[in-house]
Amino acid sequence: MLRRIRNRLSKKLKSINKMSDKQNAQKSAKIAAGAVVCVESEIRGEVTIGARTVVHPKARIIAEAGPIVIGEGNLIEEQALIINSYPENIAPDSEGVEPKTMTIGINNVFEVGCMSQALKIGDNNVIESKADLGRNMILTSGCIIGACCQVNTCEVIPENTVIFGSGCQRRVQTERPQPQTLQLDFLMKILPNYHHMKKTVKTTSAVTPAKN
Amino acid sequence: MASLLQPDRVLYLVHGEKKIRSSLSTLYFCRYCSELRSLECVSHEVDSHYCPSCLENMPSAEAKLKKNRCANCFDCPCCMHTLSTRATNIPAPLPDDPSKTAMKKAYYLACGFCRWTSRDVGMADKSVASGGWQEPDNPHTQRINKLIEYYQQLAQREKLERDRKKLARRRPYMPLAFSQHTIHVVEKYGLGTRLQRQRPGAPITSLAGLSLKEGEDQKEINIEPAQALDEVEPLPEDYYTRPINLPEVTSLRQRLLQPDFQPAGASQLHPKHKHLLIKRSLRCRKCEHNLMLYYFSVRIMSIPNLRFQKECQVLLTLTNPVESITHVTLVGCEEGDPEDINSTAKVMVPTKELVLAGKDAAADYDELAEPQDFQDDPDVVAFRKSNKIGFFIKVVPQREEDGDVTVSFKIRHDFRNLAAPIRPSEEDDAPTEAIWLTHHVELSLGPLVA
Repeated sequence: MLRRIRNRLSKKLKSINKMSDKQNAQKSAKIAAGAVVCVESEIRGEVTIGARTVVHPKARIIAEAGPIVIGEGNLIEEQALIINSYPENIAPDSEGVEPKTMTIGINNVFEVGCMSQALKIGDNNVIESKADLGRNMILTSGCIIGACCQVNTCEVIPENTVIFGSGCQRRVQTERPQPQTLQLDFLMKILPNYHHMKKTVKTTSAVTPAKN
Repeated sequence: MASLLQPDRVLYLVHGEKKIRSSLSTLYFCRYCSELRSLECVSHEVDSHYCPSCLENMPSAEAKLKKNRCANCFDCPCCMHTLSTRATNIPAPLPDDPSKTAMKKAYYLACGFCRWTSRDVGMADKSVASGGWQEPDNPHTQRINKLIEYYQQLAQREKLERDRKKLARRRPYMPLAFSQHTIHVVEKYGLGTRLQRQRPGAPITSLAGLSLKEGEDQKEINIEPAQALDEVEPLPEDYYTRPINLPEVTSLRQRLLQPDFQPAGASQLHPKHKHLLIKRSLRCRKCEHNLMLYYFSVRIMSIPNLRFQKECQVLLTLTNPVESITHVTLVGCEEGDPEDINSTAKVMVPTKELVLAGKDAAADYDELAEPQDFQDDPDVVAFRKSNKIGFFIKVVPQREEDGDVTVSFKIRHDFRNLAAPIRPSEEDDAPTEAIWLTHHVELSLGPLVA
């Protein structure tokens, strides 16, 4: 009788352990096969990185207030900061705050030293060096945020917009910026020669992390 | 010396028409007058024209022909930066065999700052890297040229009539050709304002090409007067109701940079050739020689905390740019010195003469060089390094106010003018005679610390 109770208890403990293991496993980054992510980059929280994405050393992807999903073919250069952080007026521990997912599309370029907090970024965008994107921005596709431009409005940037200059002037260009395929191929060949890479996870669909 | 980040801490006084105090990097030195000059006491002249991006030098006549624009470089019509040429590969049919396609290079202009490209306005890609780009023609060019010719002719005719009147008053044996040398002709209609500044007596050579020889028939140019129209094109019907497409509207600056067309829409903004810049030559107004940059500089090395009424030591450095030994004496400003208006602190300068070694270009490489023997008072001289010397001055801030502590004194040093003409050998002077120059220097040492 006691043995049966003990066995049942131990089985329950094992299953609880397995569940917590699974939850713990989702807290680390899910890097798809074919992505090149250097060990010196800092990735915290639930981050999913798509194939053919290159993350340079010293890039930081921090998912504090929710998961980050990064698509394919993106180029995230040194000292870039992609952060899903709590908005300023909400304390981190208050309840009732739903974690919002930050989605980043394909073929985007995050140049050196930029900071992006925008929750939704489409495809083929270029965020130039030291640019600063606020949390309430939504970038569609083909947008270029110029160097040192701080954009913190609550709006959807239409397609093919260029934001440039110290006054953040805008204009619309006729064609979207070309995807950096040559640069990505070059980096995927060269970076592994000089840096260690983070381990990739073989997943069939690298889109959303599965929940229990 | 002034640097980009610390512009005006050491100021020199210039004795010109106005007393100007400015830092050494903006001052010039006239070797013949042996005086400091600032930008306001010199005369500026146009030396040459050059393009700021390709640095091509152009003589003034060519620049005038090309309307002061560079032939190769373009400005972005959107943000006014320099455009760069980019190449792409496009498949194009081979001239021999239309069915096969080969990759050919096509060039287009692009701006690195605002990402404007020449394809945005519909300009086709060119197959040559440079020289293929043309500015669109002004539709009014012919009329403008005709008007200019007519008015130039009118100006000439008026000038000749004026000269003839003057000649009628003069003695009759003076040849008619002499009338071209009149100086005080004010030319209308843009034949050059430089004529007004030329000195009396110099012949006006630029008019020589325009002068008519006696006996030549003048070509009569007739222009039609401009016609006023009664009917004006009406505005389109939806002018007030059509929503504005804001990215398409050009800004005033973009519009006015192209005065020929002044396009209202961004899809008509064509790139313009880059404007040339001028290299100035500066001349001393008194002796008409060219100037050089002054080189003898005092730098502030380190400042301790300045406290009110407490004596502290400031370390200054002096650099000797010439190759001979220089002697420097510092003299404090006396009471009631008319030049000493800005100082807020008392300064005690070293009374001894400081000796600076010459600049030896090979000193870094010459290991066997003997160390120079200068007996330095350790209270005065902090360190000595080839042609630099560091010395202390004592500063006692006098006024307890919010501004910077300023200190002024005079520097006296000897200067050898190597560029002056050698005097005839009748005098027994040494070929390079030393002149003693005195400058009034003001140092701004920063705010007081309580």
